[in-house]
Amino acid sequence: MKAEAQALKGHLDVLLLATLQDGPRHGYAVKEALRAGSGGRFDLPTGTIYPALHRLERADLITGSWSVVDGRRRRSYRLTTKGERRLAADRGSWNEFAAAVTAVLDRTSAPWPATP
Amino acid sequence: MAGHPLIDAHLAQLHRDLPTEAVEELADGLNETYEQYLTAGVCPTEAATAAIAEFGAPDRIVAAFTEHASGRRIARALLATGPLVAACWAWSLVIAQAWAWPIPPAAGLSLGAALLSAVGVLAIAATSRSYRRTGLGLVGAVGVVALDTATIVLVLIAAPILVWPMAIAIPASLLRAGLTARVLPRLLNR
Repeated sequence: MKAEAQALKGHLDVLLLATLQDGPRHGYAVKEALRAGSGGRFDLPTGTIYPALHRLERADLITGSWSVVDGRRRRSYRLTTKGERRLAADRGSWNEFAAAVTAVLDRTSAPWPATP
Repeated sequence: MAGHPLIDAHLAQLHRDLPTEAVEELADGLNETYEQYLTAGVCPTEAATAAIAEFGAPDRIVAAFTEHASGRRIARALLATGPLVAACWAWSLVIAQAWAWPIPPAAGLSLGAALLSAVGVLAIAATSRSYRRTGLGLVGAVGVVALDTATIVLVLIAAPILVWPMAIAIPASLLRAGLTARVLPRLLNR
């Protein structure tokens, strides 16, 4: 099942940053990393990835550079130091949040007292 | 590898609404998607159709660029915080009975007209479906910085006495002008 773009909206920034943690990628490769890394669940239209990357670049979280590949101009992005810090912070917050949700959903200890 | 007329038509449509550099970047991604399908053995026309479908319709792509545009985001931020700063000033000016200040009517009217123009321009940038019109947000932001500065200077020159609500209004304007002026050069360069 493909996740709706709307559901991804609040997490798109950290996901895009995560796709760049192993090195520079261009827009299509970012999209493919997102799709492959999520087992196909996060399969956004490729064209909508680029404006999000531009916004992250304006926020100095990533930086882009042009090169020429197969006769085509290509823009690749890499994390900045600020982007690495943001990724680490957001990852920590997410892990705490996910652990809390999992603890509630997968509760195996004694049941909570019910209200009369 | 050669392109395909369907790909070229898709890019031409995007070029009508988006800057050349953005379209160049999109062209690389779209052509790479197309080539992936060709490599998988799909015939050129089906490969181009599939690549375009995977890439997204031009309207959707332009809408995404518009939503993320710096002009739109700064316009929305200024429109969201504007009423607070305006309320601080309204409170200050009423308490200080600004209508009795020795200010030429033309100066007051000019300031009011400039304020309305800035709000109008920001509203267009914040709501327009056109990517190019989001650029008006940066124009409006420059206007807001100028207005904040002009208002503070005018008050300091013309007000016979300073009233305590100005201790909130002036820092609020300075903070807004300072933050806006800080991010503007970076946004104008991109």
